[in-house]
Amino acid sequence: MKKVSVLLALMLALTAVAAAPAAATAVIPTELPRNETLYFAGQQWGTVLSWNIFGSNQNNSLVIGGAAASREIYFETLYMWNDLDGQLYPLLADGQPEWNAEGTAVTIKINPAAHFNNGEPVTANDVAAVWNAHVKYQTGTGINGSTYISEVTAIDDATVEFKAALNDKGKPVNPLEVPNQLCQLRITSAAWIEALDAKANGDADTFKNDPAYDIVASGPYAGGYYTDETKIVLARDDSYWGVALWGKLPAPKYLAHILYADNAAGRAALEAGEVDVSQQFNSDVEKMWLEKGLPISTYIDEPPYQLGLVQPSAIYNYNIPVLNELAVRKAIAIAVDYDQINANAMTHQSATFDQIPRSLFNTTEGQQAVYDHDAVKDLQWAGKDIEGAKKLLDEAGIVDSDGDGWREYNGEKISLNAVCPNGWSDWQASMEVVAATGKEIGIEITTFYPEAGEFYAVFQNPDQTQYAIYMQSIGGSGPTYPWNSVRAAMSGEFIGQQNNGSGNWGQYVNPRIDEIITAIPQTTDEAELKALYTEAVQIYLTDIPSFQLMYRPSLFHTVNESVWTNYPEEGDEHGYPPNDCTDGYGIGALYDLELVNP
Amino acid sequence: MKNILRQILHARNFMIGFVTIVIILFAVSIYPLFNQGSPLDMIGLGTFFKPGTYISMYDAVETAPTYTLRLDDAAAKRVEAKLPQADRESMKKWLVAYGIPDEAINTDDLNDLLNLWNNTYDPDARPSGLTSAFRKSVARIDAALTGLLESLDVRVYTQEPSTGEMRETAQIKDNQYINVSEVINTRKLWLGTDNFGRDAFKELLAATGVSLKIGLIAGVIATALGLLLGLVSGFVGGIVDDIIMFFANLFTVIPGFVLLILISYSIGQEQRGATVVAAVIGCTSWVWTTRSVRAQTLSLRNRDHVNLSRLSGHSLPRILITDILPYIASYVVMALILQICSGILAEAQLSMLGLGPKTTETPTLGLMMFWGMTYAAHQNGAWWAYFPVILMIALVSFSLNLMNTGLDQVFNPQLRS
Repeated sequence: MKKVSVLLALMLALTAVAAAPAAATAVIPTELPRNETLYFAGQQWGTVLSWNIFGSNQNNSLVIGGAAASREIYFETLYMWNDLDGQLYPLLADGQPEWNAEGTAVTIKINPAAHFNNGEPVTANDVAAVWNAHVKYQTGTGINGSTYISEVTAIDDATVEFKAALNDKGKPVNPLEVPNQLCQLRITSAAWIEALDAKANGDADTFKNDPAYDIVASGPYAGGYYTDETKIVLARDDSYWGVALWGKLPAPKYLAHILYADNAAGRAALEAGEVDVSQQFNSDVEKMWLEKGLPISTYIDEPPYQLGLVQPSAIYNYNIPVLNELAVRKAIAIAVDYDQINANAMTHQSATFDQIPRSLFNTTEGQQAVYDHDAVKDLQWAGKDIEGAKKLLDEAGIVDSDGDGWREYNGEKISLNAVCPNGWSDWQASMEVVAATGKEIGIEITTFYPEAGEFYAVFQNPDQTQYAIYMQSIGGSGPTYPWNSVRAAMSGEFIGQQNNGSGNWGQYVNPRIDEIITAIPQTTDEAELKALYTEAVQIYLTDIPSFQLMYRPSLFHTVNESVWTNYPEEGDEHGYPPNDCTDGYGIGALYDLELVNP
Repeated sequence: MKNILRQILHARNFMIGFVTIVIILFAVSIYPLFNQGSPLDMIGLGTFFKPGTYISMYDAVETAPTYTLRLDDAAAKRVEAKLPQADRESMKKWLVAYGIPDEAINTDDLNDLLNLWNNTYDPDARPSGLTSAFRKSVARIDAALTGLLESLDVRVYTQEPSTGEMRETAQIKDNQYINVSEVINTRKLWLGTDNFGRDAFKELLAATGVSLKIGLIAGVIATALGLLLGLVSGFVGGIVDDIIMFFANLFTVIPGFVLLILISYSIGQEQRGATVVAAVIGCTSWVWTTRSVRAQTLSLRNRDHVNLSRLSGHSLPRILITDILPYIASYVVMALILQICSGILAEAQLSMLGLGPKTTETPTLGLMMFWGMTYAAHQNGAWWAYFPVILMIALVSFSLNLMNTGLDQVFNPQLRS
């Protein structure tokens, strides 16, 4: 009998190991206790491929995701970005970064309490090793970052220095990019990097493609993980160093994400209370509480429900001759029915352009204050101005001369397409509204929805003529913003650049805007800065190289309070941004969560 | 011929199907005369407006004459609509959490409850144990309570554009009514609106027309191709038969719908008008017609009258048309009906996958389903955006199938009664 029970115990243990093939340390139960688990939706689609922070195709966005507000649950950064106040909050760092007198280097103290999930302390040497590996193996971070940062060195165990790359005047190429790295550079241990380095033996592909199942991390949920084709689970590290910082451990013991097939499945799970935090675009989200009476809410209780941080825009392709005509660009822009896009495509989850007039900037007070609203007032348009658009086209001589109902340009019927990726419902619906506008002003616009991969491959080619009007987001939140919004919309540096994922996809040329883009990061005088930003908006609204269709959150933040409560909401005393409790300073929300029925 | 027609007209199944299709066609062609404008006009700002009559509030205020109706239950109805029992329970839950003793709250006495509420409720308070969603729902209830019991007159003011002065233009009592037929602007939205704010009923009828057209084009192409290839293959035989059957077998093995998806995808959305989609459907669904026609031709080719025709030196087309076709005509008509039906279904399936015709050009039943699904109509309870579409597809294909069964009863000697 005893033998049988030993055998049974052994078998049970083996089953547990088999069920958690990828667990780093903790054994994760196959049945997660509901009141110890926070469930997500919309953060992760498809099976995780890799945990390697140096890789490029990890498909692990629940862990390696976010932008300036970096996902802090597994890997941590030196600082946390707060979308609401635009400030850096120390995480692995201790205190604020300090610039030297010349403004060419910044010193950061490492929090002495910080340690990795293997118990080793986080030191300045780890930070330097991460940076050096990015540069050595030419990862995206390494390539982009080394333009602005020349060197990262450990002065001692607790002090690391980031030296800015200097221009010919001895000034930093772009001082905004340094803090940008401080809140985006995920830290792992120098020893782990060294081991992988030895294994790769200088081969970048081996280094970057290693799945890194054993990677060392310092975050609160680096206590172990489980992944398969149905879900991803992260276990809390109960010896997490951050207790020293936050005063306690985050409330949920597990973070879990079921891999839903599509939006509809994720939405159904949210409504059923199987999902606590949803990062999905749920159309008509208010009906969940107003009509169905579900305990679901968004960050803001009224439209636009979410915090608008990016501006999905329609980009004009200047490679198409007719789109070099200002009259055509302007006619389409002023004729589009933005109220329709807001009401029907975004289901009111965007601020209107009456509330936040179009500029290049997001809806936060900080970004709205950088330019002079009155100076660009006359350049704004309300939309749905069909007669005005027709008049513009007529005056420019772009008329329908053969009577078929469509206008011609150089003797040929103008026929444009409006493109965005397939399956992005609110973008697709916006493109439908743009296409419907074309019909009213005599310009044929047809919609086209390629798969996302194909879409990006085509429009990142600077010579493409396949897409005439296509959607892409401009703007965001982070230390480089709002400067980066101006750059992404119009910068000449992207002209002719292959695989350009960063900006000016339409190939707009204007030497003056390039001067402004160069000047802004070097300018500290506030009045001067405001004048530069105002001029940039004036140029943008005059030349119309693209036009905003809506404001959109960078993360949708919708929560179901069936199990957990005390999530961030607008105006609460915590001031955590609505970042799904995972990104940047928003991770603080995890520490305040409480059970509805303890 | 006359006899056959009489038999067809007496086939009950056929007539039910036929009359239904005629009614649908009639509605499709007549309705646009009463409700002008494009079915794709986005009239509603917002998604999925409920079915019903929409009355212009702007015009309602100025509608004259007004009538006084003294209805006893009007005030009670108003209170019940604004503050249903469930909301009173929510108020009680909040008050209890705030510290008011349970027995001090009487949800049945509205005056009492409102008094207690108005004296206690603090929108900024965060009583423990209440979720944020609940607190927000209570705040919405609170907002609806103003003037609930007083039945105050509603006063309407207009602002003078030049002076900015406010001038009272109307004063509305709680027993004042207007006749809906006297309001200048009303709009009956039988099936509400879809996600784009389009009149869903108007769109449904227009889409049915387009889908029938797609079905007809696809059906005609598929049947014509199938008939031609089947006749030639069966009658000529030899190498021609081998070649045609080789392709027919090839197409039989590859699932037709997969082929349809691949072709539609490679054509690209820009080229996909309704006609192109119909043609693609037609070109991928000729196989079974070919095989059946071939089999029937094979059984006919050695009949005496065919041999006689051959001996008389008649040309191949003439033999096929005058000696073979009449024998299989009834089958071909029935195949055509089924092909029309499957063409409509194929369009709906393709569009559901986002591979249908372009949205802004024409409405189709499949596209209506696609957008309804994309904007979660089924999860929002907006049944009007998808259920009538399903019903219409079912009705059309059921009617066509009934017609087919009816014809079968007439033409199939084994079924003939």
